[in-house]
Amino acid sequence: MKRIRIANLPLMVALTIAGLFVLFPLGSATEFSFRTPVSGGHGLANYVWFFTAPDFGHYLWISFILAVSAAGILLVLLVPTAVWLNLGGHKVRPFVEFITLLPLVIPVVALAIGAQTSLPDFAQTNEFVLAFMYAVLALPYAYRTLDTGLKAVPLRTITEAARGLGAGWFRTIVQVVTPVIRSTVLASLFMTLALSLGEFTLTSLLHWDTFTTWVTTMSQSNILGAIALSVFSLVAVFVLLLGIGAFVRPVSNQAAAEED
Amino acid sequence: MNSATLTLSGVTRRFKDVYALNNLDLTVGAGELVALLGPSGCGKTTALRIIAGLDRADEGQVLVRGESIDKLPAHKRNMGMVFQSYSLFPNLNAEENVAFGLRMRGASKAQRRDRAHELLNLVGLDHHAKRFTHQLSGGQQQRVALARALAFEPDLLLLDEPLSALDAKVRANLRDEIRALQIKTGTTTIFVTHDQEEAMSMSDRVAVMNGGKIAQIAEPDVLYHTPANEFVAGFVGQMNRIPAQISGSKARVLESDVDAKFDWETQPAEAVALVRPEAIEVTPAPNGNATVVARAFLGPMSKVMLQTTQGFSFDASMTSDQSASLHSGDSVNVSIKPGQYLVVPA
Repeated sequence: MKRIRIANLPLMVALTIAGLFVLFPLGSATEFSFRTPVSGGHGLANYVWFFTAPDFGHYLWISFILAVSAAGILLVLLVPTAVWLNLGGHKVRPFVEFITLLPLVIPVVALAIGAQTSLPDFAQTNEFVLAFMYAVLALPYAYRTLDTGLKAVPLRTITEAARGLGAGWFRTIVQVVTPVIRSTVLASLFMTLALSLGEFTLTSLLHWDTFTTWVTTMSQSNILGAIALSVFSLVAVFVLLLGIGAFVRPVSNQAAAEED
Repeated sequence: MNSATLTLSGVTRRFKDVYALNNLDLTVGAGELVALLGPSGCGKTTALRIIAGLDRADEGQVLVRGESIDKLPAHKRNMGMVFQSYSLFPNLNAEENVAFGLRMRGASKAQRRDRAHELLNLVGLDHHAKRFTHQLSGGQQQRVALARALAFEPDLLLLDEPLSALDAKVRANLRDEIRALQIKTGTTTIFVTHDQEEAMSMSDRVAVMNGGKIAQIAEPDVLYHTPANEFVAGFVGQMNRIPAQISGSKARVLESDVDAKFDWETQPAEAVALVRPEAIEVTPAPNGNATVVARAFLGPMSKVMLQTTQGFSFDASMTSDQSASLHSGDSVNVSIKPGQYLVVPA
């Protein structure tokens, strides 16, 4: 049995406290979500309640599609932009960085009002406008993640090698750069998905209904059911991200697997 | 065999007020290997990048098989390139890396696999076909990069200091392998390097560059023995600078009169003779014109450091057998072998 080193003790205490701080409310909420008020015991009644609710699947699907669309929009916009900024667009980098920081300093209410007053009618009557708005909200995180990933690879050499081998810019970005920075792209994807799936304020202010607004509405009639829904949402997002991470393995693991 | 001629005609590239290339002219024959040799900032890499289409010339033309390729983007130029830094795609294994160029050209999966194995076999790495970048050594990565650059039968092979990042032993081996492969495939090749030994040992011709221009282009032995100017003489090989007194058409060097062979418009007040260490003859003599300062054993050859009675120092190179009888403090007579010198203004 390994001994715990004295030097690591403060770190372990801090981690334990932090872990309890996160896990205790989650555990409590999970325990609460299984309570059945009628019989006084525990059961799946609250989960059965929202699973059988008529709009559950509908709103879950909408949220999922919007989140995936937001992630897609960001990747299509950001990967080529970040590649260009790292290869030759140094002069405009400060301006682009400023733009990507704006969603952090502009309140969501201002974004919502701006969208309502400036977007054309066809955009305001289509719920996919939310995907673009979610992409804007995720911009600061996604851009910085991609930029850091691109700085960590010999971007100029691999893009020039790809072009020399006959790949145009589109194929270079899609077939060479994106796979090379796959872990970074995935991190951006995760952040955008997580942010989009949990976004409430903007959706509510723009008068659209997604899974999060539906949960809020439902919670007003069944508090235990609402907690069960929250626990479900948390687990579902976690499983989704874990699934994507497992599906797209890092390069080194692939190589190791080949070696085996 | 895929041999193409290359011509650079009046190619100029400016970065603000600095000329990276200044009206550069270069012609490379089909199947020839020409090295662009020069110090940092001489424009050799810029020239290569313009040929590859990764940079543009401000003026001048690049022609392959006599046709201008200036308007062709890099991916349509059909040129294989090997970079100084390892440029393999880390998400692909060696076989997939080699097949990448063929994939871009729409070759079938079977064609790609067969050709990739053929090329990997040529560079001696067929058994590493499934390995990824991080599972290959630096030398192996550059071999794969070379196979990748040759797989789609390029018109030109462009090598941008491909051996610089490797250790000395691997570098020497790979140098020979590249040359053998180039001769075997017959691919016209431009090889950029700042290492004169690499350039001299691998190339059909060496273009010594300085200040964005070619100072001299010639076969390695011609370049070494008859440098066109002081820069080439100083850059290629070791060179002694021995003071010379000009008198008419003659120059007095090491107490002997030699033909100055100069074509200067006005006779300079002071001049120096540029002499290779191996062009200096050393003969033991009790009252000679120089003294042995030290002797350095370098295997089959030795370097003998000398000082004249006037007090200036220079080196002589000779076989270790010849130098065995020379010791520090010995008096010797030194002279220059006929014709093996260049007299220039000091």
